[in-house]
Amino acid sequence: MHANPHPWRSTTTRLLAIYGVFFSAWAIVLLSLIYWETSQYLTEETEHLLGERAEYFASIDPGRLRERLESTYEFDLLHLNAYGLFNAKGEPVAGNIHAIPAGLEPDGHGRVYRERFNGSETPASTRILAIRLRNGYELVLARNAALIDRLHQLISRAIAWGLSLTVFPGLLGGLVLSIRPRRRIRSLQAASDRIVTGDLHQRLPLSGRGDELDNLASVVNRMLDKVERLMFEVKNVCDNLAHDLRTPLTHLRAQLYRLQQQTAAEDIRAATIDQAVAETDDLLARFAALLRISELKDEHRRAGFKRLDLIEVLHQVYELYEPLAEEKSISFKRFFPNGSLQIQGDRHLLIEAFSNLVGNAIKFTPVSGEVAIQVLIESAGARVDVTDNGPGIAPDQREAIFQRFFRGDQSRSTPGFGLGLSIVEAILRLHDFQIQVGNPPIGACLTVLCWPAPLAYDSAGIVAQEQTVGLALS
Amino acid sequence: MRRILTIEDDAATAREIISELHANGFEVDWVSTAREGLLRAVGSVYDLITLDRMLPDLDGLAVVTTMRQVGVQTPVLMISALSDVDERVRGLRAGGDDYLTKPFAPDEMSARIEVLLRRRQTAAPNITLLRVHDLELDLISRVGRRRGIDLDLQPTEFKLLEVMMRNSGQVLTRMMLFEAVWDFHFDPGTNLVNVHMSRLRKKIDPAGLPALIRTVRGSGYVLEAPV
Repeated sequence: MHANPHPWRSTTTRLLAIYGVFFSAWAIVLLSLIYWETSQYLTEETEHLLGERAEYFASIDPGRLRERLESTYEFDLLHLNAYGLFNAKGEPVAGNIHAIPAGLEPDGHGRVYRERFNGSETPASTRILAIRLRNGYELVLARNAALIDRLHQLISRAIAWGLSLTVFPGLLGGLVLSIRPRRRIRSLQAASDRIVTGDLHQRLPLSGRGDELDNLASVVNRMLDKVERLMFEVKNVCDNLAHDLRTPLTHLRAQLYRLQQQTAAEDIRAATIDQAVAETDDLLARFAALLRISELKDEHRRAGFKRLDLIEVLHQVYELYEPLAEEKSISFKRFFPNGSLQIQGDRHLLIEAFSNLVGNAIKFTPVSGEVAIQVLIESAGARVDVTDNGPGIAPDQREAIFQRFFRGDQSRSTPGFGLGLSIVEAILRLHDFQIQVGNPPIGACLTVLCWPAPLAYDSAGIVAQEQTVGLALS
Repeated sequence: MRRILTIEDDAATAREIISELHANGFEVDWVSTAREGLLRAVGSVYDLITLDRMLPDLDGLAVVTTMRQVGVQTPVLMISALSDVDERVRGLRAGGDDYLTKPFAPDEMSARIEVLLRRRQTAAPNITLLRVHDLELDLISRVGRRRGIDLDLQPTEFKLLEVMMRNSGQVLTRMMLFEAVWDFHFDPGTNLVNVHMSRLRKKIDPAGLPALIRTVRGSGYVLEAPV
């Protein structure tokens, strides 16, 4: 009836997921800002340093430049710097840079290259700057900017760790935390399903924690109390009415009967009186059926349940209705498995219920139609299908046919008063059996699911029946 | 004159019973409590007792049980508002001879009373052959014959005919037949018994022979020798 709540769809999981996403986004923004600021600062520092040096070397007499360069870089113990001096033709004169990097203009502006620096294995960000000296030589100065790379790596890694440490435990936590609420929702669902199927004594379970779900459940429970009380009152009024009206009706019938006896069959009034008696009988039967339904709702009846053979019950029902079907030229078939099917139940009530179903099928099937009773043994238990090829039951009426006094549109012209299926339903409910309205292409199919499983199915067979086989009806 | 004791606490129902019984030529004594009913049942001779199941001072079941214990064998028709099969079984087990559910049609009651009274007179359970006019039913070989010609009877038809012949000359209502032949106690609708009856009639009353089964308007059927 309900979809089971999906773990990812629970409120807790969702909240945690949204929170996780926001938290991660904020962490990324923060770290990116730090990275950006720091790398900006480091770049500026490098640029500044290179510029200062270039300015310094440019001011030195070109004849002493080589010497000064060497002495300066001799103490660059961290090997962060490199230089190259090139003559006007671009040939290297001194230093550890042996070629002018492509695209480098001697304009004193730093550019970023990825170079293998001072014998290191991997290329790293390098800031390179070139100036033109007074003698036409070109001086190239470089400074390793790997620190920025490192910073970049560091922060990326921090973000990755941060995310995995937030998102995954967050999601997992969400799932774990949603287990209990989901379990509660499921128990609420189970309870409401039972209420929907008609058990108005059921109440929604409360956890006792007094949270929102509990509040909601207790509101619903109060509502159910009220509904149940109202239903009970309505039922009582109904029953009392049926009970109270029965006595005067009986007196009425008695007087009509006496009149009938005093009227000769040839009298022209006889037919009218006969009609009146028949109508009164109908009314009385209606009230009797109403009271019968109330009686059947009483669970004490189960105390009288005995072991019985369902197949035998169905054979009796078949034989009871066979002449009626024959009278209407209806082909009436039974498809029963050989042997006995032991269940716990009340023989009289089951005969009444199945008689009702079969009687209905015959009543609503036109002359020369088909009606069949079929028993199928399934793993969950036995099922009994009563099928006919009459006008069928409209899909929108399939729920309603079990209500008291309901009569389908097609059945208005047929005698009856719409209590039969309510009695059937009450009897089957007493047995914990279910009745379903099938959806055959033609006609109607009412299925009784005799679950839980029968006590015993003896396929060895006690009686060999003339009709057997589990043939499917088509 | 045949005498009947009616033990019934509801005055309206009692009037109904009494007027129907008077109309059928019975003399009726009416009491409204179980105690008084027991005293009368033990003290005087009645042909039949109608007994309400729910009396103000005692359960009808207790009344019938007590009666049987002290040796009163008068047939008892139990009348009760409890329509359940279980209640019915309980009533018969306690010693009642038949069980009628309220509200009931008076003709239903008188038909049952007639059958109970007749059963008492012809208490010969060991008969093996039933005979009405030129119709015979052999209960041992399970064969029916009309004018010496074998009838092809299905088991249900045989049972129906047996019940009709055992109570020949008496009106049997559809409800009585449904109970006696099938042992079912719900309302199957009037048509069902009629259809079984018309099947049986086709077999035992073929065209040309005087009909033995007669429909009683508004009530049921009777099997008897033609007049």
